[in-house]
Amino acid sequence: MTGTDFPPTGIDFLPTEIDFPPTRIDFLSTGIDFPPTGIDFPPTGIDFPPTISVGGKSIPIVSQGCYFNNTINDDLDSLMENQSLLESKMSGLHKILPSLQILETDSKQLHGMVSFTSTLAENVSSKVRQLDLAKSRVTSAITRVEDVLDLKFCTDGVQTALQNEDYEKAASHVHRFRSLDENVLRMTTETDEGSTLDTSFRLLHEAEEKLRMIVSSKFDAAVHSGDLASIERFFKIFPLIGLHEEGLTKFGKFLSSQLSESSYKTLVLADNINYNDKQANVIYAETSTQLFEAIAKVVEIRQPLVETYYGHGRLFTLMKILQTECDRQSRKIIEKFRHKRDFDRVVQQVQQDSVFHRPNATEKFDPKVLDVLLSEMVLLNTRTELYLRFFRRRAVADIEASKLEEDKKKESVSIVDKFISNCDLSRLMQEIIGSYIMLEEHFMREMVLKAVAMDSTESSSQTSSMVDDTFYVVKKCTRRALSSSSVDGVCAMLNLACTVLEQDFREVLMSRVRKGFPYGFDLSQAYTMVQTSIQQGKIQSSDTEKEKTVFLVSLNNAEASCEYCKALKSSLEDEVRKLFLKCTEQSKAKLQTCLGDLGNVASRFKEVVDFGFSQLSSGAIKPRLKPLVDIFLSTSHNISEEDFTNYEANDPWVQNFIVQIDTMLANFKSTLSSGNYDTFVNHTTSEVTSQMEKAVMKTSFNRLGGLQFDKELRALVGYLSSVTTWTIRDKFARLTQMATILNLEKVNEILDYWGPNSGPLTWRLTPSEVRNVLSLRKSETEGIQNQDKTETKANKQKPPPHEKKRTPDMRVRPGTQEE
Amino acid sequence: MEDYKYLFKVVLIGEAGVGKTCLVRRFTQGLFPPGQGATIGVDFMIKTVEINGEKIKIWDTAGQERFRSITQSYYHSANALILVYDVCSQLSFDSLPHWIHEIEKYANTKVLSYLVGNKIDQINRREIPEHIGKQFAKRYEMNFMETSAKEAENVDTLFLDIAMELTKLARQQELDTDKSPTFSAGTTTVVSNCSSCFRF
Ligand SMILES: Nc1nc2c(ncn2[C@@H]2O[C@H](COP(=O)(O)OP(=O)(O)OP(=O)(O)O)[C@@H](O)[C@H]2O)c(=O)[nH]1
Ligand SMILES: [Mg+2]
Repeated sequence: MTGTDFPPTGIDFLPTEIDFPPTRIDFLSTGIDFPPTGIDFPPTGIDFPPTISVGGKSIPIVSQGCYFNNTINDDLDSLMENQSLLESKMSGLHKILPSLQILETDSKQLHGMVSFTSTLAENVSSKVRQLDLAKSRVTSAITRVEDVLDLKFCTDGVQTALQNEDYEKAASHVHRFRSLDENVLRMTTETDEGSTLDTSFRLLHEAEEKLRMIVSSKFDAAVHSGDLASIERFFKIFPLIGLHEEGLTKFGKFLSSQLSESSYKTLVLADNINYNDKQANVIYAETSTQLFEAIAKVVEIRQPLVETYYGHGRLFTLMKILQTECDRQSRKIIEKFRHKRDFDRVVQQVQQDSVFHRPNATEKFDPKVLDVLLSEMVLLNTRTELYLRFFRRRAVADIEASKLEEDKKKESVSIVDKFISNCDLSRLMQEIIGSYIMLEEHFMREMVLKAVAMDSTESSSQTSSMVDDTFYVVKKCTRRALSSSSVDGVCAMLNLACTVLEQDFREVLMSRVRKGFPYGFDLSQAYTMVQTSIQQGKIQSSDTEKEKTVFLVSLNNAEASCEYCKALKSSLEDEVRKLFLKCTEQSKAKLQTCLGDLGNVASRFKEVVDFGFSQLSSGAIKPRLKPLVDIFLSTSHNISEEDFTNYEANDPWVQNFIVQIDTMLANFKSTLSSGNYDTFVNHTTSEVTSQMEKAVMKTSFNRLGGLQFDKELRALVGYLSSVTTWTIRDKFARLTQMATILNLEKVNEILDYWGPNSGPLTWRLTPSEVRNVLSLRKSETEGIQNQDKTETKANKQKPPPHEKKRTPDMRVRPGTQEE
Repeated sequence: MEDYKYLFKVVLIGEAGVGKTCLVRRFTQGLFPPGQGATIGVDFMIKTVEINGEKIKIWDTAGQERFRSITQSYYHSANALILVYDVCSQLSFDSLPHWIHEIEKYANTKVLSYLVGNKIDQINRREIPEHIGKQFAKRYEMNFMETSAKEAENVDTLFLDIAMELTKLARQQELDTDKSPTFSAGTTTVVSNCSSCFRF
C-alpha cells in the first residue's frame, strides 16, 4: 500500500470492497434488534410494580406472575442462542482493525501529495502570467522608444522643413506627432530624460502653431495673388495639421469669390441682352442656370481633391459655403428679374383684379406678356429644382461613403435635407412658385372667360368653340405647371384647373342647359330650321330657334367636356409618371389625389349631360310622341277579320309613327354629337315603350286586335333596332310580353307560360299586371275570373304553329333582369 | 348601398406655428412630434375612421405667407375646413377674420367649418379665454372646439366629430339627389326594375 507510484494504481483508493463504514459488519445491524423488540421491557402487559388489589383477588396476580416468568425465560434462551453469532462477529471486527489503520496513514500521505502538486502548478502559471506581462511591456516600451525617437526625429525634421519652406514635410511631421499620445509619453519617462522630451514637445507645439499660421497666411496670400497652384498646395496641407474646417472654409470662400465674379459678369450680359435674342424672354432663368452650372462644375472638379485630402463626409461643409454664395447670387438675379419684368406691378394688379372682380377692367394685361412671364418663372423653378437635386445627391453620396455609423449617417442626411429646404434659394423659389400659381390661375381663368365670351359655333362642328378653347387653355396651364417640377405647384394648379372648369366653365353650360329645350309650334319644321341655321353658320331665326340651338350645342359641349376632361386627366397622368418618377411616395400620392379630382370634374360634366337629357326628354321627346301615341289610342284593336285585312293594306298608325320618329331622329342626328345621339335614341326608345305601355293598358283588344298589335309592335322593334347600335329588345321586353298575352288564342293559355311552366322565360310583368293585360281581352274577361285548373287542362288547345314560334321573343336572357 | 364608403377632404388652415401639423400627427399617428418644423407647401394623409369605415383625407397646409396661393387652391374642394388658432397667441386670434374672409372667398358654400383653439395645455400662458373663442365661432356660424395636440385633448373628438357630421351631410345629400327629378323622371309608369339599366 505504500507504493511509490502516485496515484497508486494497485489499490483502489477508498476501495469499494471495504465499505466504510463497513457494511458487512452489521453494526447496529437490523438483524439483531437492540433493544430486542421481541420482549417488552418493561412489559406493557402488567403494571410494574404489580399492584395488589384489596379483597381476595391475589390469586390471579400470582398466576399471572408465573406466566410472566415463563415468557422471560423463553426470551433469555433465545438471546443466549445469539451470543455465539455476536462473538464471531466481534472477532471479525478485531481482525479488520489493523487494516483500517493502514488506510488512514495512506490517505494522509495522498492528501499531502495532492496539495503539493497543486501548489507547484499554481507557481508555474503565475510565472507564465508574469512573463506575458513582461512581454507586453517590452512591446510597448519598444513602441514608446520608437515614438520618442520619432518625436526627436519630428522635432528635428520640422525645424529643417520649416527652414527649407518644405511645408508638406513639416506638416507630415506635425501630423505624425499629432498621432502620438503626449500624456502617455510624458508619464513613462524618467525625470532627467523628461526635460529633453519636454523640449521636444514644446518645440513641436511651437512648430505646429507656426505651421498653422504660415499655411493660413500663405493660403491667403495665394488667394490674394490668384496663385491657383499655391492655393491648391496649401489647401492640401490644412487637414494634416488638423485644420479641416478652416481649410474647407477658406477654400470655399475662395471658390465663392470666383463664382461671384463670373455670376456678376453673366448678369451684366443678361441686362444688356438684345430684345431680339431668342433667349431674351427667359434670360434670367438662363442666368441662374449658368450660376448653377458653375457651382456644379466647381463641385465636380474639387470633389476628388476634398475626398483624397479630407476624407469622405466633409464635402457638405464645402458645399454649404458654396450655397451661401449661390443664395446671394440667386437673390441678385431674382431681384433683376423682378425689376426688369415689372414683376411686382403685375402681381399687384392681378391681386387687385381678383379682389375686386373687375371683369371689364380697362387696365388688363396683354395675356401674351403674362404668358411669357409665366414660362420664365417655371423655367427658373425647374432649373433650381434640378440644381438642388444635384446638390443633395452629391452631399448624400459623400456622407454614405464616409466611415460614420449608420444612425450618424441618417442624421447627417437629415441635416442636409433641412439645409436645402431652408436655404435662401429654396425660399426664393417658394415665393416665385407662390406668385406663379396666382398669376397662372389668373391667366387660365381670364383665358377661359374669354373663350366663353367669344364662343361661336361653326357649321362643321357640333360643339362650339369654347370647349376646344377652354380645354386648350387648361391643358396649356397645367402642363406648364408640370414643367416647373414643383410638386406643390402642380397640385395647386390641378386644383385650380378643377375649380375653373367647374365654376367658370361648367356653370355656363349648366345655365344654358337649365333653360331647357323650348317647344311651341310645328316641331318638325323647327328642327329643320335649327339644322339649316346651323348649317349656314349663323343663327337668324326666331329666339326659340336660337334657344334650341344653344341648348343642343351646350349638350354637345357638356358631353365633349366630359370626354376631354378624362383625356386631359390620362395625358397628365402619363406626364406626371414620367416627370416625377424619382420623387417621394408622399409626393406621388399627392399628385395622384389631385389628378383624381380631375376625374370628378368629368363626372360633373356628365351630370350636365344627364340633366340636359331630362330637359330634352320633357321638352322635345315627350311632346313629340304624345300625339303619335294618341293615334294608337284612337285606333281600334277590337276588330273583325275584315278590319284585320283592311289594316293589312292601309296601316292605321304604326307606319306613320315610325316615319315621324325617323324624322325626329334624323333631325337630331345632324345636330347632336354621336355620343349624345346614341343617348337621344336611348331616351326616345324609353319614352316610346313607357308611353306605349300606358296606352296599351287603356285599350281593349280582341283576339284579332291582339294579333294586329303584335304585328305593329314587331314593326316598331324592327325599325328601332335598325337605328341603334345596341340591342333594343330588352327595353321592349314588357311590351312584347303584353303582346304575347293579348295574342293568346284563349286567355287560359297563359297558364302554359306562367309559374312552373314559365321555363326559361323571365317575366317582366308582375302577376297583377298580367291580370290587367288579360282583362283587356274583351270577350274572354269573364272566363278568366271563373277559371280553374281542370277546365284549363280540358280546354287547352294547341296554339297555332306560328304562335308557338313566337315565344322566344318573350324570353329575356337569364340574368339581365335585376332583383 | 348600405356600407357605402365615403372619402372626405378635410383641410387645416391657420397662421404659422399654431399647431396644425401637430394636430394631424396626433390624430393620424398618435404622437406629438418634438421639434416639428414648419410645413413646406402642403402635406396630406389619409386615415380611416372607425365608425362607419369612412375615410378622411387630411390636407395639412403651411401657414407661412409665401405658401398662401398653394393653400388657397385646396379650399374649393374641401368638405370641411379646420381653422386653427393658438390660445396663447393673441396675434393668431386677431388674424382669424382674415382667414374667414379667405374661406368665404374660395371655399364651397356648403363647407363644414370648425374653429379650433389649440395648445390649451399651456394654462399659464393662455391669452384667449374659451368663451371669447366660442363667441367668435358663433358669430361666424362655425363649430368650435379647444384642443391640445400635446396632451391629446379633444383631438380625436374633433376629427371624429367632423367625420360624423360629414357622413350625416352626405347621407342627407344622397337622399335629396335620389328624390330630385333627374332624367329618369319621365318614367311615371310602374317603375320596372329594369329602369336602372337605362342609366348607363
Ligand atoms: N404646448 C403645446 N405646444 C404645441 C401644441 N401643438 C403644437 N405645439 C408646438 O407649436 C409649434 C408649432 O407646431 P406646428 O404643428 O409645426 O405648427 P403649424 O401650424 O403646423 O405651423 P406651419 O406648418 O408653419 O403652418 C411646435 O413647436 C409644437 O411643438 C400643443 O397642443 N401644446
Ligand atoms: Mg405645419
